[in-house]
Amino acid sequence: MKILIIEDEELLRINIIAYLKAEGNVCDFAPTFESASQKIALYDYDCILLDLTLPDGDGLALLKEIKKLKKTDGIIIITARNSIDQRIEGLSLGADDYLIKPFHLSELGARIMAIVRRRTFNGNDLLMFNELTIDIQAKEVKVKGEPISLTRKEFDLLVYFVANKSKVISKSAAVTHIWGDNADMADSFDFIYTHIKNLRKKLLDAGSKDYFHSIYGVGYKFTDS
Amino acid sequence: MKLFSTYNRVLLFTSIFGLLIIGYSFYHTLSHYLNKQIDSYLVEELLEVKDYTQKRKIFPAHEVFEDLVIDYKKITKIERKRNYADTVFFNPKKGIKESGRYLKEDVNLAGQNYSITIIASEIAHIDQVKSIFLVIILPVLGLLIIILLVNRYMMKRLWLPFRQLLLNLKSFNLNQEGNFEQVNTSILEFKELNDAIVDISQRVKSDYKEIKLFTENASHEMMTPIAIINSKLDMMLQSNEINEEQSQNLIDLYKATSKLTKLNQSLLLLVKIDNNLLRDKEYLNIKELVQGKMQYFQEFIQKKNIKIEQQLEDNYLSMSKYLADILLDNLIGNAIRHSQQNGLIKIELNEIKLCIKNSSEAEPLNPNNIFERFYKSPSSDGMGLGLAIVKQIAGLHQFDITYAYQDKLHIFCLTF
Repeated sequence: MKILIIEDEELLRINIIAYLKAEGNVCDFAPTFESASQKIALYDYDCILLDLTLPDGDGLALLKEIKKLKKTDGIIIITARNSIDQRIEGLSLGADDYLIKPFHLSELGARIMAIVRRRTFNGNDLLMFNELTIDIQAKEVKVKGEPISLTRKEFDLLVYFVANKSKVISKSAAVTHIWGDNADMADSFDFIYTHIKNLRKKLLDAGSKDYFHSIYGVGYKFTDS
Repeated sequence: MKLFSTYNRVLLFTSIFGLLIIGYSFYHTLSHYLNKQIDSYLVEELLEVKDYTQKRKIFPAHEVFEDLVIDYKKITKIERKRNYADTVFFNPKKGIKESGRYLKEDVNLAGQNYSITIIASEIAHIDQVKSIFLVIILPVLGLLIIILLVNRYMMKRLWLPFRQLLLNLKSFNLNQEGNFEQVNTSILEFKELNDAIVDISQRVKSDYKEIKLFTENASHEMMTPIAIINSKLDMMLQSNEINEEQSQNLIDLYKATSKLTKLNQSLLLLVKIDNNLLRDKEYLNIKELVQGKMQYFQEFIQKKNIKIEQQLEDNYLSMSKYLADILLDNLIGNAIRHSQQNGLIKIELNEIKLCIKNSSEAEPLNPNNIFERFYKSPSSDGMGLGLAIVKQIAGLHQFDITYAYQDKLHIFCLTF
């Protein structure tokens, strides 16, 4: 995938690029409104990450520009401004998603994948991983063609892990993904453990290989190697 | 006490006191003057008696004459000088006792020594004094009453701008748009007061605005560094050489950053509610929201094996979905968080209110400060902003939030 990262904060940009590149994506970046505007006009991307507060302009204006060029690039707004109005404005201007800083890179990875998949597969949303087939829309998981029953949270977790395959996902990120803002509820880390344990068991029972690897209690890695 | 009453009390007191003194001295001066008149009349009578005996050789001149009684008493030696005094005497002409004034003097009449007492009735004079007194005092009294009434009216009228000023001050709200409402008055003092209040309100308002802006900007600015820390942690996690100790450090760092994020978000949320920036109102069925929250928190409820008793009726409210979510998250989340193992949570929702009750090992909380920012009970590991946010959201929608402790349950009630 080709991804453009429009973000003026260098350290954050470097991390995002490093994380996404490791997944085999091609990353381009623009730290200013001006350079972003040029790159958008010249190239096509699968996904554009757009920071709203740029040193020389407003990200929303850039969004309008992209839409004016009738680009089909997926757009995710990444911003520290968690205002409902801005979120609605951004989405109504044609952004696909809105991610508020700070976020986990795995969350960003999952969102990018969701958008790109939605755009390229046009609704026929099947996510494949070895013997696993995940139907995002029907919320159905098949192991070697046989459907298994997962709870809503188990399903979300599985999609989240598959989207960040071969990456270590921290418990903190997984908790935030599942419970959102209320992630600070005591014990929520234990629940992630329970959910993953159950999910793993269901997959194993259905004949799947064991893809979940625990990393010293800090997180999990979903990988087949 | 009201200014007016205080003022009136003083005025009334001095008026009555002054009136009494003036009345008293006036009456005395008047009587003294009239007594003098009677006295000179009595002297004239005495001269007349002397005159009668000496010139006309009539003796005794007369004993009873008009309101006059003359008494002659033979004495051996002339001792008494002239003296006057008040007395009560029998008026033979009217046949009644009257108050009067007499003159006593020892005189030699036709070679004989007499003590002569001339008594004159005072009745006419007393009447005179009375009418003069009344003619003077009554109008003064009337004037006093009129002054009091005028005062009352004037005070009310004069202080009207002040009252309006006070009303405006009371209705002045820092959080509301619009400045302090000015009062039109021609009275200089009130004008000055008005200007001073306008000035101070503007200053306070701009200071307040600045503080809010500062909080907002500071929180926003902090988000980017936190985002960097977070992404750095995520990258560190990807490293293959991570050992157990480093993992523990990472867990702690994740927890700290997530707490920092939460704190920042809470502060920002408070500022936004303060500024009334969240105005996306929609019709919400609170019952459905509560049920959704119970679903959302189900793992936490199951883990603590909390018994849930729900009595939910439909209740539609027009409010921000975002804020309603936060409100319920905080109230229900708190109840679950503070409930002990095998505890009990009761949720009651009807058209008037929503009550969330939970059992807990914690002592009753202090209802006076639990809604304050950064206040938290010793048993809480939160930041102490949750209930402040609840209060703020309730205030924004004109709901009433109360806390009570009853039957070993902590009860939070939201009255719509």
